Parts: sequence; structure tokens; C-alpha cells
Amino acid sequence: MAERMPQFTLPLVGGGPVSLATLVEDGPRLLVFAHADCPTSHLALRHLAELVDGPVKPVLIAEEPPERAARMARRSGIRFPVLAQEAPFVVSEQFGIEAVPTAVLVDRSSTAVDSLVGWDRAGYERLLGGPLPDRGPSTKPGCGSRLHEPAAEAGLDELEDMFERGWTDGLPVVPPTPERVERMLGGRDPGRSLGTVPPSGGSAALERVAACAVLAGCRPEYFPVVEAAVEAALDPALNPHGLAVTTQPGGVVMVVNGPARERLGLNTGMGALGPGTRANMTIGRALRLVLTLTGGALPGRLDRSTLGSPAKLGLCIAEDEEGSPWEPLHVERGLEPAASAVTVVAADAPLSISDHRSTTPDELASVFAEAAAVTWSPFWWPMPDDSLFVIGPEHAAMFAAAGWSKERLRDAIFAAAVRPAGELRRGETTPAVRESPDDRPIHKWTDPSRILIVVAGGEAGRYSAVLGPCDGMQTQPVTREVRWTT
Amino acid sequence: MDYVSPIDPRVAEPLARAPRPAALEGRRVVLLDITKNRGAEFLDRVEQHLQRRGAETFRIAKETFSRAASGEVIERVAIHGDLAVEGLAD
Repeated sequence: MAERMPQFTLPLVGGGPVSLATLVEDGPRLLVFAHADCPTSHLALRHLAELVDGPVKPVLIAEEPPERAARMARRSGIRFPVLAQEAPFVVSEQFGIEAVPTAVLVDRSSTAVDSLVGWDRAGYERLLGGPLPDRGPSTKPGCGSRLHEPAAEAGLDELEDMFERGWTDGLPVVPPTPERVERMLGGRDPGRSLGTVPPSGGSAALERVAACAVLAGCRPEYFPVVEAAVEAALDPALNPHGLAVTTQPGGVVMVVNGPARERLGLNTGMGALGPGTRANMTIGRALRLVLTLTGGALPGRLDRSTLGSPAKLGLCIAEDEEGSPWEPLHVERGLEPAASAVTVVAADAPLSISDHRSTTPDELASVFAEAAAVTWSPFWWPMPDDSLFVIGPEHAAMFAAAGWSKERLRDAIFAAAVRPAGELRRGETTPAVRESPDDRPIHKWTDPSRILIVVAGGEAGRYSAVLGPCDGMQTQPVTREVRWTT
Repeated sequence: MDYVSPIDPRVAEPLARAPRPAALEGRRVVLLDITKNRGAEFLDRVEQHLQRRGAETFRIAKETFSRAASGEVIERVAIHGDLAVEGLAD
């Protein structure tokens, strides 16, 4: 095989167009034709990812659009250039590619001097002039090139396509077709931006937010709540950058108040923390997808959360204002009762608190305090961070019967979550504990205002929950009113 | 099939890594302390090693680890360093 190949130009993933002549300027190149549906292609790329510098540098020519080509590179860990080739796969045709992977060695004069079809470790080592890791099968037949797929099969299954693009949180999504996104926008300006989303700084243009809402499975009428949630989550007071990249597990939890709850069918009752209700599940998920996809906080990449958390799938809690003896959260935070609002809080997944036996409100408040005491870190006290208590209706009724205000409950939880400094000298200890005498009382929180209280849940069962804080993030809850008009 | 992408194309791919320097001799290395617990101790050791290899070091600290570095801090890193080492330790 020694054939001068025709010149071609393809888009470089993460760069501009690149020609064959440019590729071989510095020496011979191994062009590796592959596509994402071919396990043998992935096998070859995973080996090539570990190639140390040798005389011949590989280039991936993916029979994929750029986003899927980029995903192939990420999955395999390759660091060499990736070119994206879309239908009708003219370059594959020029090179006579029947199967993938096919490796074609091209010298500096753009002449193909050798080639290899399928996976053959020894063959690749020969073409590259360097060793590859010795694991897995040493040979494996390839798969058909996309060039020969019937047109109807040229694209992936739509749902699989979403995974290949990386437009997912790991669960199936609804493909954001232009029609669906337009319906979601409901006449809003698609180019209007709600701000930049950290950590990558992608612009939250409404059409991208709407695409995320479609992906999440939202109905178009949910969009005003999604919009308010994104606005709130991008407020620097929440510290969205820190939350996106931290090793902590916390997510951005949202509480919805006001008429939006009934209007959208949000569940405030049994199973209020999910799963089961489309509005709650998809609105919470839409916000998370904006943070992950538009913001580039991909788990394991810019999202450095050590363990992650189910809270990071998205959690949308609707307060049971009608069943609550107290003023709702959005009113506490300065809005009118008739307003609909979203409050975002940096918080970990819920820790449920069972108590069926307390006989006084003081006793129950102390049980809440004990549960909250172990969240984040059992000994890193006091924390300048928020804990969100979701009080079940039966528990709320006990406080209501005793005439307790929300303020009184907050103060009682704060007062009960206290230990002498001497008992907090274990594991992580704060400067405040280290510098205090043993008998000085230290509270869990820096002040009672760090305790947020809402009511939600089914009418039977004496359960509440506390959603733990994200410590050290300098984060504050943020509330935004929902605007129904475009 | 055409879709509306949730991703801003301007930031779709991470920036390419700068090439690794062949030697440290005479290079200016910024040691960026993000003020995380014990990060400075880690950077102290790294600084000793770098200086032994002939690098000139320069210390810069962020105001707080929990927020992104300010434009001023990034500018100072760019002005003072050919290379940077960030102390993320806890």
C-alpha cells in the first residue's frame, strides 16, 4: 500500500478546521477511523490513550458529530487530536474504510504507506513504533463503518444519542428538539441570558435553560419556576462557583412557595421529598442540568465532589403552606403571600428524623437538634451555614397546639444543639473550639437564623427531615419571585 | 436530527493544557495558596524543592478557598509566573 491520499479538511474538536497536509507537517501520522457505537473502536482508543510519545502520533477521525467525537475522547482518555466527520462520511469513502477501527499510516507527503483493520495490538505497536499496554484481548474484529450504514440507521437511537452527547445526569432525557424548546420558551426571547453559569462560565441563554428543562422532562408551564430557580442559583450570594467545584457532596435544593404549587401540581404532601411527582422531579432536575451542562460542572471533571449525593440529581420541595401553622418561607424572606417564589439553599440529601414518642414541643425540638448535630461534621462547630428543616404535618401540629411560633422553634433547636467545647475536641475541630476552655458552650450554628424551617409531607407519620449544610462555602439562601409573563 | 444544545459552544471544550516545561532552571513559578487548611505547609515543601532545582518562586494567596480567584489574583499569577502550582490541600 503506497497511495497518495486526496487532501481533506475536517473540524478539530476544540479547535478549527484542520487539513491532512497540516497533520503530517511534523511527521507521519496514524489516522484512526472509529465510531462511538463500536466496542472495538473503544478498545483501541483506551489502549492508545496510554501511548507514550513515539515516532508516530495518532489522530482519531471519528465518524461522529463534534460533540459525540469529544465524548469518545473523554471516555477513552485520549489526549491526541480528534477530528469529527459527519454524514456522508466523504473522508471514510476516500480512504475506502469498510470497518472500524481502521488505522492508516500516512507519511509527510500524504501518502498512505500501511494500514490495519480491527484491533491488533502488535499491529498497532508496529505502526506506531512504540509499546501499548498489555491487557485485554490482543486482537478483536472491528465493526462496520458508518459509511455503509443505511441512511435510516446513520444516526443513533435518539435517546442513546443524548447519552453519547453527554446531555444527561445518567438517566434518560427528553431530546431537546427545536419544536420542544420553542414550546418551553413560550414566546420568551431565546437569546436573553440569565447570567453566566460557573464554573465554565457558559451563558444561561433562555434557549439553553429551556433545552435543559426539556431534557429534564418539564412541561412548558413549569418553565417560569425553572427560570426563577436558575436566576436564584446564579446569584453570587449562593456561591454557585464554590458549590459546583467543591469536594463536598451538597447540591442546590429548592423550595417553592405560593400559587405556583397548585398551578403546576407540585406535591406538598405524602412523599414530598420524592419520588413520584413529575413537577417536583423535573423542575429540580432542570436546575441541576443547567448547572451541570451549561455550567460545565460535570461530575468527575469540574465537579470534584468526592462522593456526590442524591441531592445533586435535583430536589424541588413545595411547602405545605395550608397545613403549616406558620408563615411560609417566601413570606419570611420578604415576599407577599400571593407571590410565587423559589428559594435555593445549598444542602446535602435529607436526613430523616423519626419521632413518634415526644410528648412536649421542647422534647421534640431537642430531638431535631440531636439529629442536626451530626450533619456535615459531628464536631466542626459552630457552622456559619444553613440547615433546612422540613417539618412533617404531625410534628408541626404538636408545635401549633402548644402555640409555638416558628421563631420559638428555631430558637429551641438552636439552644438544644449545644455542647461544651471539651466534648468537641475530636476529629475536625474549629478554631473557636480549640481556643475555648472545656466548659464553654458551643452551638451547632453561629446563630439561629441559620435554621430554615418549612412544612411538608403526608398527614400520617411523625417524621421530619433535616437537609445538612455545606460548610465553609460562604453561601446564603436566595429567593426569587416567579414571573409568569414572558 | 437537529437539537438545541444546552451547552454554550464558547466553553464546550476545556482549554488545552500548556506544554510541560523541559526544565525549571531560571523559570518563575507562582505558588498559589487558596487558603485551604494546611495548604501553605504543602506549598512550603514544594517551594523548597523548586528552589533546589533553580526555580524562582513567588507566593500569592486567594482571599478565600470557597470562591473563584479574583481577576486581580489571576492577573498577578500571569504577571509573576511562567508556571503555577496551586495548593488545594486540606
